Amino acid sequence: MDSVHEAAVRGTNDDAVISKASAVQAAYISDNFVKYFVKRPPRRPPIINRGTYVRTTGLDILITKFLETVKAKKQIVSFGAGSDTRYFSYKERSRPFHKYFEIDYPEITSRKVAIIRRHKQMYTLLGESARLGMGGMELYADDYCLIAGDLREFTTHVVDRLIQHGFDTSLPTIFLSECVLIYMESGDSDKIVRWVGENMSAAVFVVYEQILPDDAFGSVMLQNLKLRNIELRGIYAYPSLESQKERFLKRGWTHAEAIDINKMHDRHIDPRELERISRLELLDEVEEWRLLSAHYCIAWAYVAKNESIMEMLEQVKFVYYDPIPPTRRIVTT
Amino acid sequence: MGNSDLDRFVGSQHVLTLRVSSELFELIKRINFCRQIEKIRNCELITEGEVRRLCAKAYEILIEESNVQRVDAPVTICGDIHGQFYDLMELFRVGDDCPKTNYLFLGDFVDRGYYSVETFFLLLALKVRYPDRITLIRGNHESRQITQVYGFYDECVRKYGTADVWNLCCDIFDLISLAAIIDDRIFCVHGGLSPTIQVLDQIKNLDRMQEVPHDGPMCDLLWSDPYDSSDMDGWSLSPRGAGFLFGGDAVASFLHMNDLELIARAHQLVMEGYKLMFGETLVTVWSAPNYCYRCGNVAAILELDDQLNQTYKIFDAATEENRVPVKTILPDYFL
Repeated sequence: MDSVHEAAVRGTNDDAVISKASAVQAAYISDNFVKYFVKRPPRRPPIINRGTYVRTTGLDILITKFLETVKAKKQIVSFGAGSDTRYFSYKERSRPFHKYFEIDYPEITSRKVAIIRRHKQMYTLLGESARLGMGGMELYADDYCLIAGDLREFTTHVVDRLIQHGFDTSLPTIFLSECVLIYMESGDSDKIVRWVGENMSAAVFVVYEQILPDDAFGSVMLQNLKLRNIELRGIYAYPSLESQKERFLKRGWTHAEAIDINKMHDRHIDPRELERISRLELLDEVEEWRLLSAHYCIAWAYVAKNESIMEMLEQVKFVYYDPIPPTRRIVTT
Repeated sequence: MGNSDLDRFVGSQHVLTLRVSSELFELIKRINFCRQIEKIRNCELITEGEVRRLCAKAYEILIEESNVQRVDAPVTICGDIHGQFYDLMELFRVGDDCPKTNYLFLGDFVDRGYYSVETFFLLLALKVRYPDRITLIRGNHESRQITQVYGFYDECVRKYGTADVWNLCCDIFDLISLAAIIDDRIFCVHGGLSPTIQVLDQIKNLDRMQEVPHDGPMCDLLWSDPYDSSDMDGWSLSPRGAGFLFGGDAVASFLHMNDLELIARAHQLVMEGYKLMFGETLVTVWSAPNYCYRCGNVAAILELDDQLNQTYKIFDAATEENRVPVKTILPDYFL
């Protein structure tokens, strides 16, 4: 029925990993594994590199906070993980987690399994227990599990497969969706959000995706993506920061926040880091950067059945940095 | 008829023949050149040989121009084009063809769009054909360093196989004027003001024939932006990493010192096509509709009549069908 759309959505994984490889190559972010997924990364424009930096850093900040503040065994679940290399980076840096689950279409997981197997720098990080499953579509290790599945069947099939491989609903868990839920009908993504909110004893959910479909930039964005057979099916259900919060609060979550990428960049990235990345490339696209960044958001929410865990989850948030006034410069004439 | 008379007669015939043939030659050259402009107007690529001849002619014209080129009204001011060739054709439909209308282009002809090569050669060919009817001034993208990041270099290599054409174009970039002044009343520049420039003569004295420097007055003219804020006057550092942000007081002082009434500049995307600031003493004109095929903005040109009355003409992106051949290349999003 909509196999063209599905294939196009799977293609967005290539796009994301190429952007990441470009940002790594330009020294915005460091990652020792993305190079195995993209051989010769094309150079992406400076605003795309900067956007990839803010997206990656933003999510890393929340995940790291979660891992550091929650004093218990923790799980990470990455929806539509694609070629994401976070598991390997965190493992390399000894970030403490109990188990990292990734779910994606079988076409994508098969390729990922093959690439991980080919590179011992990755395969050895999995430990000796690593083994393949489902004819090479899946991969299981003590603290890692890659599952092939369709997220539209999350509550009916995928959850059972996760549990079969050690997923534990009683452990505090952070769920990640980077441009994933937005490709689904909101009816399907709502089921995931509701299930997590109702069934986990403690959870944080982090969403990175597009907003504002109705202004000039947004409507051109939808048209352009349509030319690539990509439909942002969920964008009209959650078109604003406010509705992004509501998607959680209406489904039993305790607290929700949503900010756009401009705010993330301007107020929640360490000014020393901003200073560093500003020296990597000339950014001559200041107005375009503002426009583009206004159309992406990071939303996060938490829920906990236990008061002491709740207090820890409250710490999963960004540091606020004061705006720096424009630097005065006295000019002698 | 004596021998000497005969000699004189034959001699004059010879001169006449020579004169006729050189006029004929000029005519043929002009016809060829018009054909070349027609070719570019159809968005066809001209050959590398044609590029060399075009650049040689442009060189002769541009090297004679002043850093601050004098322009007479009526004239139509255009902002950034950025390789959006079909939108430039739309601009000429909206503003009428050159030479029927006098044009002043405020730079940033290349980079970002899919047709920087065709766009730059069309403007350059018009400059060569009608040097007094079209004025080009330099934008921050007319630079070796920037074109290697934002697409023009890659496009030249893709379309011509080597970087030779890019090199020829960069040598032309170095010759393009830095600013223009219309009827001694309106100062036109790509970016904006420089804290090191108070009077026009300081611009006239710059050595412009070089790559755009990373700082200093020439860089500032091409990179700076106006900044309207109650908590900022004067000058501050630009988020672009080059040039400055300048406030209303800097504009007022520059206009006063030079007995001017308006600064017209481009350089910043304006969703509405143009934007007046500081009590209408500065205007930003933006002429690339749906910039980068992504921004959804309209574009504008500013028509000045002989009394310097301002009329802004707004236009939309050229119809999508025009871009069918490149539909496969689409702008970047985060996916």
